[in-house]
Amino acid sequence: MASNPMQQFTVHRIGPEIKIAGVDLSFTNASLFMVISATVIILFLFLGSKEKKIIPNKLQLIAEMFYTFVAKMISDTAGSKAKPYFPFIFSLFMFVLFCNMVGMLPYSFTVTSHIIVTLIMALFIFIAVTIIGFIKHGFKYLSIFVPSGVPAVLLPLITIIEIISYLSRPVSLSVRLFANMMAGHTMLKVFGGFVVSLGILGGWLPLSFSVALTGLEILVAFLQAYVFAILTCIYLNDALNLHH
Amino acid sequence: MKSSLSLLIAIVVVSTELFAAEAGMPQLDPTYWASQAFWLILVFTILYISISKFYLPKIKENLDNRESKIKEDLESANKFKEQSEAKAKEYDFILESAKKEVSKIHFESKSILDKDIQSKKEAMEKEIEKEILKAQKEISELKKNSISSIQSISGGIVSNIIENISGDKLNESSIKAAVEDISKKKINKYL
Repeated sequence: MASNPMQQFTVHRIGPEIKIAGVDLSFTNASLFMVISATVIILFLFLGSKEKKIIPNKLQLIAEMFYTFVAKMISDTAGSKAKPYFPFIFSLFMFVLFCNMVGMLPYSFTVTSHIIVTLIMALFIFIAVTIIGFIKHGFKYLSIFVPSGVPAVLLPLITIIEIISYLSRPVSLSVRLFANMMAGHTMLKVFGGFVVSLGILGGWLPLSFSVALTGLEILVAFLQAYVFAILTCIYLNDALNLHH
Repeated sequence: MKSSLSLLIAIVVVSTELFAAEAGMPQLDPTYWASQAFWLILVFTILYISISKFYLPKIKENLDNRESKIKEDLESANKFKEQSEAKAKEYDFILESAKKEVSKIHFESKSILDKDIQSKKEAMEKEIEKEILKAQKEISELKKNSISSIQSISGGIVSNIIENISGDKLNESSIKAAVEDISKKKINKYL
């Protein structure tokens, strides 16, 4: 069973069963790792903002670097109007990043490798962005589907394509993160299994692959968190600043 | 690169095929979807509130503090620079005026000294002239005196010489007249 590369993704209950109105809301290993990730983030930010030094120590410097990194990302992609959404995007980026990174630890569970988790985040962003767009621009927000400068003949077709692409945003956003995480972790597990099955004679090749893949996965973990956050910024930009 | 990638994909596909029958994708098992959604929303809400209410303002305050401190320091440095420049200008001005004053004092004292020297020199010259005049008078008087005494001496000498040579005395007045006559002729040489 241990060699099944998909087994790492199984969710199992920890502690007592919690049922509210017939819905199973038990505390699971997925919940545990969400809590761990959030705790690590809060601990990190607590230690990073505890001492208010003019010349920062290492943790404070890293926390401030995260802050300026996300702030710059938002101001570059969505402009100054997106400032009220900075805490949300910062939390989102930190949560996805730390879930991905915590998932890189052996024997841990990767929260973001579950489609339901990424889909809920993506759907929330999608719905929130749409609501923000309608609040800011009213029905004019629908002009996002009608790009300017398109010949009248092509306009219906383009509008349909635009609507489809808009509606597929939550799917692409969630599947991108989930698939990247799942594929990476599956691959790591497969190569780990090969190391064991090929033994001391032939195991070196998959082991070296495994080492290289671990590095790649850490990169992917950061990159996917960044992509998730920056796509949120881009969607927010579309809602805040109508360009069409 | 491409072949190794395709090899990787093949391995993944084969292994997932092998194990798919046994477990499938646990992500698609809906048993704990509600639980995951619930815990995600709960944890993320707590995280969001604590980040937006506590940590981001703190970090922002830190960053702002640092920025304002740097700005302040730069401003005060600029102020000090301006002050020092003003002081340097003042110093230059003072130095310049002091130089002017020094040259003025120098000039004044020089002119006073010159005047003093001049007046002293003049007084001295006057005195010297006076002395010279006095001396000259004395000399001329002495000369006049000496002429009459020389005349009487030379008269005496002449009468003595004549007496010794001829043996008789000559009339004194005639000798005197002769001496006077000669001395009058030659006197201009000595006076």
